[in-house]
Amino acid sequence: MADILTGIRVLDFTRVVAGPFATRMLADFGAEVIKIQSSKITGRFESNTDPYFCNWNRNKRSITLDMGHPEARKLFLKLASASDVVVENFSPRVMTNWDLTYNHLEPVNPGIIMLSMSGLGHTGPWRDQVAYGPTVQALGGLTYLTAYEQREPMGVGFAYADMVSGLYGAIAVVAALEDRELTGRGQWIDLSEHEAACTALGPAFTETFLDGQATEPRGNIEIHQQAAPYGCYRCRGSDRWCVIAVYNNEEWLALCGEIDDPALVEDKRFASKKGRQAFKEPLDQFIGSWTKGQSAEDVVERLQNVGVAAGVVQNAEDLANDPQLVANDFFTTLEHPVLGRMTTDTTPIRFDKIPRKAWKPAPQLGDANNYVFGELLGLSTPEIVAYKQKGVIA
Amino acid sequence: MNSNDAPSGFLKNVRILDLAAANAGFCTKLLADLGAQVIKVEKPEGDDARGIGPFLRGKDNSRHSLSFLYNNANKYGITLNLDHEKGRSIYIDLVKKTDVLVETFPPEHLAGLGLAYEHLKWANPKLIHASISNFGPDGPKKTYKSCDLVAAASGGQMAVNGSPDREPLKSYGDQSGFTASLFAVYGILLALRNRRLTGEGEHLDISMQASVTATLEHVMERYFSGKNIFCRQAGRHWNDEFVTLPCKDGFLTITVFQHWDTLVEWLEGDGMAEDLRNDMWRDEQYRRVHSDHIIRVLQKWTLTHSAGELFEKAQLMRFPWAPVRSPRAVLECPQHKARGFFFEEDHIESGMKLCFPGMPFKCSKTTARSRRPAPLPGEHNRHIYECVLGMSAGALEKCQHDKVI
Repeated sequence: MADILTGIRVLDFTRVVAGPFATRMLADFGAEVIKIQSSKITGRFESNTDPYFCNWNRNKRSITLDMGHPEARKLFLKLASASDVVVENFSPRVMTNWDLTYNHLEPVNPGIIMLSMSGLGHTGPWRDQVAYGPTVQALGGLTYLTAYEQREPMGVGFAYADMVSGLYGAIAVVAALEDRELTGRGQWIDLSEHEAACTALGPAFTETFLDGQATEPRGNIEIHQQAAPYGCYRCRGSDRWCVIAVYNNEEWLALCGEIDDPALVEDKRFASKKGRQAFKEPLDQFIGSWTKGQSAEDVVERLQNVGVAAGVVQNAEDLANDPQLVANDFFTTLEHPVLGRMTTDTTPIRFDKIPRKAWKPAPQLGDANNYVFGELLGLSTPEIVAYKQKGVIA
Repeated sequence: MNSNDAPSGFLKNVRILDLAAANAGFCTKLLADLGAQVIKVEKPEGDDARGIGPFLRGKDNSRHSLSFLYNNANKYGITLNLDHEKGRSIYIDLVKKTDVLVETFPPEHLAGLGLAYEHLKWANPKLIHASISNFGPDGPKKTYKSCDLVAAASGGQMAVNGSPDREPLKSYGDQSGFTASLFAVYGILLALRNRRLTGEGEHLDISMQASVTATLEHVMERYFSGKNIFCRQAGRHWNDEFVTLPCKDGFLTITVFQHWDTLVEWLEGDGMAEDLRNDMWRDEQYRRVHSDHIIRVLQKWTLTHSAGELFEKAQLMRFPWAPVRSPRAVLECPQHKARGFFFEEDHIESGMKLCFPGMPFKCSKTTARSRRPAPLPGEHNRHIYECVLGMSAGALEKCQHDKVI
């Protein structure tokens, strides 16, 4: 049985992470993703033997094309005419300077779907600004709001906006591919990472619009006031923590049953959710003194067994060994010709019937040059050699 | 039907039944924004998500949850009692006319009602049934309870957020539901494509926990490649490439190593470069090892400027810096304004104007035109039960009387 995206060819002109994540999602489900690289650009994130590169570029092929060479554009157009999708994540002026915007691609391939993933979008006064995941998070409000209190923003400890942008990119491409089946036409998609990051905050903007003070950082406090207690508690061991969230009285009584201290059940302040919210501090202290002597895993197992939502604050090592993630096939290993055995996370999407095909490790630089330029574009071997000698396929 | 109601957008031919709880409401919201006809199925007393504040007061003193208004725009709303036998049989009739079903029930709940995928696929073999679950369909924690806090902890977001001197910190909002929603939309689109190619329906599960782990960017990769266990370090990126520093009037996220000579020149112009002028700092490796010192010097300097001033100047010199903006500042952003990202809408019940973020991408040819406000409970009962299911007005009335609808 074929993969869902078998037969879809994607020209992947993206770098670092947001773009490569989008095209990786397409490659994971069977699209033929051809990554355009250049032997001139082999910095940390574009080195084919860098584990970070390999993580975001599995299941792809690689060709080399030096866009600095005047003859490269012609080859790019040929590639575009043989592809279904082009994805690029340069700042807007790059493809424009190469005369390779959608308006240039459409005449050679009216069905082409072009996804442009830029920091701030291709229109507007800030379109030429330079942006990366962490700075987009700052611009979009996420850094400000992720904090214990108002004065000092903590932000998110990784390039979350790049992940969000990549997800939207993959969604847009598959939606446009299905649309093409109905209409026969391709199109250009102008995706702004800044806007993608803003959608992650959703109703926070609706609330702020009505009341400028409505949305402020509140640490781990539950913003909708649905639960109490609700928080993060220290457990036994070095930097070990668990979280506990109690949504109703039944769960509260179950928690009290586990803590098994009459002082807690009999404390009138904690009898109602309102009271537990009002006296958050003494309540959290009480719970914290109960959790600190136990391992986070024990606390969570005990509470979940009696129907209370709780979780271990898991770090990377915990996650890699989490029996839950393992049971759901969340990790897999790939054999890389240079780096050897590599473990990688797969996808949180599990299909009942559609099987996961064998995955391939990330490509070596230009390892699909002959296949792509020869077999797909129909160039003869001497022609390919000539392009290589001239430094076009390079 | 006026022209504004004519189906448009990528998913204009797709009908979706929405039984998702508030935390996954964004999944069906996005599908609706892409043009699908999304029918939100609420229990007769109204969805729990309507009880999530803050609220808008209607002129008739009715209560309208802002997050509900946000997550349910463009959807149709019907009520149906699944605990009633007649309600379940109507539900099966709806499923027969549905392309996609999205739900967030605990794994055993639907089986108990006889409404699991195994039952529904006989009624509609082409059905795509998407379950957004807490911890995935298998494994020892599959029945565990969850919420955004638990998913953020179990999925790995919290361990890497916040200050090393304090407890781990959850990202603002409901990011686990948000990322699971995005993965679910992608999975549903793939399943729709697969159905077109093979004629087969599908059941898919999207784990909220795994969705969090799948969006940790460097965290898992660095563990698997080098056994690095990243721990929270406040506003500093793992490799110190980016750091968030205080300014006179706010905070700024800046790069530490880029365009080094230009950066030192800039500081020197303000007489604040200190020893960074020395040649040893021109070696990038040296800078990376001694980034603490650079950050100390930079912080003294940023404190003497406003965030906006540094941001503007930095961008002119191609530094990818950005101010840490409050939601209020984001609403005023000239870039958003120029691209029409936020749009305003009248809320009829309260007479207020509301503002919503739009889609983060613009398509040159296909756009969904329609824009309907979130439904009131049962607002489209007649439309859906009569026009889609072909129920008679009398039958509908009887169902309402029997508290089925």
